[in-house]
Order: sequence, then C-alpha cells, then structure tokens
Amino acid sequence: MDKVVVCRCEEVTMEDIKHTAEKYQCSAREVKLRTRAGMGYCGGRTCRPLVNAALEEATGEKPGNDLPLKVQPPVRPVTLSELGGDK
Amino acid sequence: MNNRIMNHPVLGKLEKEAAFTFTFDGKEYQSYEGDTIASALLAGGVRTLRVHENSASPRGIYCNIGHCMECRVTVNDTPSVRACLTEVKPDMVVESGKPKAAPFTDRENMPHTYTEFEQKSKRKAGNNHV
Repeated sequence: MDKVVVCRCEEVTMEDIKHTAEKYQCSAREVKLRTRAGMGYCGGRTCRPLVNAALEEATGEKPGNDLPLKVQPPVRPVTLSELGGDK
Repeated sequence: MNNRIMNHPVLGKLEKEAAFTFTFDGKEYQSYEGDTIASALLAGGVRTLRVHENSASPRGIYCNIGHCMECRVTVNDTPSVRACLTEVKPDMVVESGKPKAAPFTDRENMPHTYTEFEQKSKRKAGNNHV
C-alpha cells in the first residue's frame, strides 16, 4: 500500500506523503510544497483528494479552508500558445 | 499486432471503415477514421506512451478523458498533446515522451546553493553539462 503512487505527475508515493506528514507534522499545503505532490503537469487535478485523504490519515488533520490545496482556473492546463503566446 | 474487435454484433464489420497509417517513434501503425492516438496505439499493442521525465518509469492511458495528462505525446513537433483526445490524421508523426536530465532525485538532500550543487554533483571542472 505504501508503494502506491499517489501523484503520478511528480511520482510521489503514499510512503513519501506519510513520511513527510509524520516528520514535519504539517498541513496538506506544506506536504505539497515538500514532496511536490499535486504540483505536476495535471495541476493536482488527479491527486488532490488523495493527498488530502492521506494527510487526514497520517496527521488526523481535516482538509480545512485556511490553507487548503486550492483550485485555480483554468479548468485544464493550457499552453501559452493556446492563450495567444505564439503571435 | 491487432487488438481490435473486427466484427462487432452491433457496430458491424470494421473493414468498412477507412484505414490509414501514422508513425509512433518511427514505427508505422494502422489507424481507422475516428481513432484517437491512444486507441490506435493500444490496438497496435503499444501501452507505454511516454516515460516519466525523472525516473523513466512507463506511463500510458490512465484516465482516457483528457484529465490527467499522463498520455501526453509530441505530435508533428507540437509537445504535450493528449493522445487520448487527439484524433489520428493520416501520416501523423507521433513521438513518445523521453526522460530528461535529472541530476538529483533525492528530494531530502537537494542542493540549496551553487557551491553545494558543485560539491554534490560529480561534475568535472570545465564541463558545463550536468
């Protein structure tokens, strides 16, 4: 179970998240910044609920509203050229 | 190699559809009209569409709805195209994602200054490549 990859973009395993959460007793956001889980190509759109759930399991912290793994537009990752950066 | 359902009880025979070829990493594969890059390659026996940039572990179709970006490939020199959403066109040139230079994989012991970087990397003086 610990070898399961949670964040596929940055290849962060359950073990990495548990280890970081227990070592630093930190929030979901801090785990994200330390392990890069949720900071990859898909923008955390695949693993964010899993990271939050793993955190809750490791530290007992419920994903709150103060420092959550927030969602930002756009809905999907787009390239700068799609936004007109090619001109 | 062909993993397709050639004779479907509802959709009929596949031979009726127009077939054409495209290349993936220099090798030719067959595609039918309406195929996505991912479906055509899956039918051709290819399950690894790219490898992870750092660890080079294999990646392929994961969500297949354009959500996870795991199947991104280079199409006609345009990088980061999702294979699961992109329709194959005749003579398309598709390249898989390759591993990139990753001098440090241990996240706990990342260098924080350039001096540390020089000490930790086994980089020879005068060689600018990592």
